[in-house]
Amino acid sequence: MAAGLNAYLLVGAVLFVCGVICMATKRNGIGVLMGVELVLNGANVNFVAFSRYTDLGLDGQIFSLFVIVLAAAEAAVALAIALNFYNNHLTIDVDRANKLKG
Amino acid sequence: MLFTDLINSLITDTTQSIPRFGVELCLSATIVLMLLMRLSGLDRLIPACLTATVGALVATFLAYKQFDALHAKDAVVTTHIFTGLLVHDSFTVFFRGFLALFLLLTVALTSLTGIPDEEDSPDFYSLLFGATIGMMLMASANNLLMLFIGVEMTSVPSYAMVGFLKGRKVSSEAALKYVVYGAGAAGVMLYGISLVGGVLGTTDMSLLSQRLAEAAAGGSGGLKDPEVRTVALGTMLVMVGLAFKLSLVPFHFWCPDAFEGASAEVAGFLSVASKAGAFGLLVRFCLALSGAKGTESLMISFGLGLGFIACITTTFGNLAAYTQTNLKRLLAYSTIAHAGYMVMAVAALLVLKNSPQAATLTENINQSIEGLLYYLVVYLFMNLGAFAVIAIARNYTFSEEVDSFKGLISQSPTLCIVMLICMFSLVGMPPFGGFVGKLFIFASAFKAGEVHGFMYVVVAFGALNTVFSLVYYIRVLRTMFLEARPADARPVPVRLVSWESAFVVTLAVFVLLLGVLPHMMSQTANDAAQAIAQLPNP
Repeated sequence: MAAGLNAYLLVGAVLFVCGVICMATKRNGIGVLMGVELVLNGANVNFVAFSRYTDLGLDGQIFSLFVIVLAAAEAAVALAIALNFYNNHLTIDVDRANKLKG
Repeated sequence: MLFTDLINSLITDTTQSIPRFGVELCLSATIVLMLLMRLSGLDRLIPACLTATVGALVATFLAYKQFDALHAKDAVVTTHIFTGLLVHDSFTVFFRGFLALFLLLTVALTSLTGIPDEEDSPDFYSLLFGATIGMMLMASANNLLMLFIGVEMTSVPSYAMVGFLKGRKVSSEAALKYVVYGAGAAGVMLYGISLVGGVLGTTDMSLLSQRLAEAAAGGSGGLKDPEVRTVALGTMLVMVGLAFKLSLVPFHFWCPDAFEGASAEVAGFLSVASKAGAFGLLVRFCLALSGAKGTESLMISFGLGLGFIACITTTFGNLAAYTQTNLKRLLAYSTIAHAGYMVMAVAALLVLKNSPQAATLTENINQSIEGLLYYLVVYLFMNLGAFAVIAIARNYTFSEEVDSFKGLISQSPTLCIVMLICMFSLVGMPPFGGFVGKLFIFASAFKAGEVHGFMYVVVAFGALNTVFSLVYYIRVLRTMFLEARPADARPVPVRLVSWESAFVVTLAVFVLLLGVLPHMMSQTANDAAQAIAQLPNP
């Protein structure tokens, strides 16, 4: 028996929630960025599942291809910024980013 | 369809689309040119800021020509370009022109204050131009894919620009905070898009309301219908991403940190341009969803929700600005407050557009968009003016604290007068442009009060906040004008006849003109509003 749309959406939702929890709880900058990747991939699973089961069609697959490329671009910039932060603070703990407040 | 037919239709479509995409292509060409010039060592002969200025000038001119061409026809012309991914109408062209002009002014400011040094300027201007193209895509998006690409294309260069001052601790901290929150918001937004697009079975924004009406027709129409409920959830997640870009409460916390860490030039750019792009997108997205039969009351509550967020945002922004000692941080909170005022216009638009009498309210619907556009134009000049004064004074005092501006009137009266004009306009005092902008927005929100009484509360909050905001702007002005300059303060010798003065005075003159002669701009804004608001309901 083939799994229906709902099974895929469930996987997507679980990935999304894991990602959000990861973003909210991780104190390590790289860990937060990994949470973002989980969220993006949760959305990708949704897109591909919708494109298989609804009239979204190939749009969904194209969308997820674009998201993969954009995620790579974003990760490149984010890692460069994280490295810059490390060079200035000698840590990647986001809680240490506390100079700016008020 | 035969393969050759497909190729032929693509070729026709692309050749028809490219002339309408000229502004973006011009900016892209400038980016490539700047990078190639460094490769060949030509940038030692021709500095990158010159190339950037020429590129931005040509882009502004092209956008002006496009607007003229659309303007000449009486009817509202809407063309879908690139197989319907983007839409070309007066609204798009208005934003293109607005952003190109703002880019030109920012390039002029950065070459005056010299914030990217000779070595880094090709990188900096490439990021700046790339972000501007992203904003233009946001304002012309007609597909959920373009919505996401536009947001990402704006955000990613912005992260890098905030962290551009590499050796500074605060700058790297600001960039890290911005990128972490921004990436998270973009991810949440994408998940929302997947729900909206998946349930409605299309990513084409011009089909969204039709599909929503079909989805609502099957069930009870309200939130009890599972399809409508999922779309509402998805829309809320998309709104998280947009609210982040607009720095609305509760997604505002990145804004003060990013602005304080970034240089004043970059902060000025982000505060106006990325907000403008996001507002263009917000209006398009809201209009794409509204007007569907069976979901009117849902969309009105969505509009009222936006109104509620607008009230909270303006109040929070104005109250938090009181205690700030850093001018950039103070202006960041003022930016948050102003985003709130502008969201009031979008809330009014949604309430009016989905009211039962929407057919008789077309004039008012136009006016709410017109008010938003007018406010954005005024905001461009007044906010850039304030940030420019900070940037210029920083080059002499090496500080952006309010205290470093003590008694500045005795040394550079021009800067002080311009700051006075900009800040009074930010408060919304006549005869400056900010007054007219606020008037337009409050008038349309007041009109929306006839549909739902809560909008009166929104207007009351707006008016009350205008009074609140007076206090902290006046505090800065008092420091500049009435206190004595400390003897050990570094001098700020900006003479009346200098490029710096000419730049800030030009901005101030536009703020004044927009206040005294509102019809100069409001007609243009109204044309742009008509193009987008008058699409037929399904």
